[in-house]
Amino acid sequence: MRFDWVNILATVIFVSIVVTLILAVASYFAYKVREARRPKTASELRQEGKVKVFFNEYTPKS
Amino acid sequence: MATETPGNKDTGVTEHPEQAPTVKRPMRPITQLLISIAIIAVVVIATVFLFKYPQKLGPIFITALVVTLASFLLLLILRHFILIWFSYLHQRELSQDEPPDVYPFVSIIVPAFNEAEVIQSSLSSLLELRYPYYEIIAVDDGSTDGTFERMREFEGNHYGVKVAVFRKENSGKADTLNYGIRRSKAPIVVCMDSDSRLTPDALRYAVRTFADPNVGAVAGNVKVINRHNIWTKLQALEYIEGLNIVRKAQAFWRSVNVIPGPIGIFRRTAIEGTGGYDSDTFAEDFDMTVKILSAGWKINYEPKAVAFTEAPEVLLDIIKQRYRWSRGILQALRKQKHLLASTGGNITTPLSLWYMIFEGLVWPAMNIFSNLFFVWIALIYGMTKLLVMWWILLTILDLLIAIHAILMEREDIGLAIYAVFYRSFYILIIDVTKLFATLEELVGLDMSWGKLARKGRI
Repeated sequence: MRFDWVNILATVIFVSIVVTLILAVASYFAYKVREARRPKTASELRQEGKVKVFFNEYTPKS
Repeated sequence: MATETPGNKDTGVTEHPEQAPTVKRPMRPITQLLISIAIIAVVVIATVFLFKYPQKLGPIFITALVVTLASFLLLLILRHFILIWFSYLHQRELSQDEPPDVYPFVSIIVPAFNEAEVIQSSLSSLLELRYPYYEIIAVDDGSTDGTFERMREFEGNHYGVKVAVFRKENSGKADTLNYGIRRSKAPIVVCMDSDSRLTPDALRYAVRTFADPNVGAVAGNVKVINRHNIWTKLQALEYIEGLNIVRKAQAFWRSVNVIPGPIGIFRRTAIEGTGGYDSDTFAEDFDMTVKILSAGWKINYEPKAVAFTEAPEVLLDIIKQRYRWSRGILQALRKQKHLLASTGGNITTPLSLWYMIFEGLVWPAMNIFSNLFFVWIALIYGMTKLLVMWWILLTILDLLIAIHAILMEREDIGLAIYAVFYRSFYILIIDVTKLFATLEELVGLDMSWGKLARKGRI
């Protein structure tokens, strides 16, 4: 039985490109969902006036 | 306990009140998500339409597509050979460089926000530098994970190297770097990330470039330290290729267009002349680079000034990092758009910026569409040989480039095999992220800095 290597390789390339593109779009979507669900950062909370600084600034004596 | 700040003199470096480039109330997360979904949907539907019903757009569409993609392939090959040629010329210059006669005093600024896992390793690496005369300024940007307490263990004098530790309210990386620069004293300032480790000879090699009085800054060589899964190995290869080919080629013209966050070495007068880091973009290192170039300074690259950095280990974190870089670069380019048409003086600055636009905007879209186009041709016209030949050509090109860069850098040759996955898999994912990030920047969607989880690998 003779294999048609060109067609086999073309199928592998085709599938890998299509799957990668689908994976890329899906991962980007997952990233956006994760970002929407993550807790707000300190600077975001401070912008909304919901967080206060609870420590003193520190600088060495000299 | 606040005391008088040493070295807090009135320099050209300003301190900015806020981290994010936000002047209005941020959008609600759900609104941001819905806009992102709408953008994804529009892109996917437009792409499917384009390739499913090309006849509706007429034969001119097919011709334009073929011509564009043929140009893309030609450009790709030309780009590689031009970059290799200039990187070789820069390498030849470097081999003639001698170590400096005099080592100037250097201040190393280490900004940190919630880096408890890595900060001590980073500061330890700085105390091991083989350099005669330097100080370390570590600034905690209001961390909540014990970073400050771990920093303070290093405070004091270590065999002539002074480590000064500061803590301030959270205000972002750009502002924290400015805070440190204002409290430093040296004529040469090193800005680094707190998740980076410098190699012992990094400073000795970095300062030799400042023998040229026109050089305002030097970009160091960043390498990935955590190489234990496919994502980190692909990033390691990406850094090796990007730095060895692209940055070296740019350095031949003394117009390096990104001084990387993990290791950037600046002449104090250059950094002060620009007013310091700005907080209005998410790529403060690129923004600073453009400001220094536009002020007429030259920027060089020193491959032996090596900093190891911890790369994101999972796909979503890589996407997060690249999303921020892409939008940050676009924000900085928008700020400095007047330089794109500037022809007075140094022609390499506008060229360098146009190259960034090409790499950031045009290249990702063309790469995605060329992949789709070849798949489409193979499917519709049964031209499977063309698909295979195209793939083999690109893979051979990528493999040769990877081997060249790895040998130049004396890196692990085993990384070369990842070049096979690089273009057809990794870069495709990165390019999709860049495409969406560009579209979101164009519609002005809000974004925040975010924070990558550190594993403490450095």
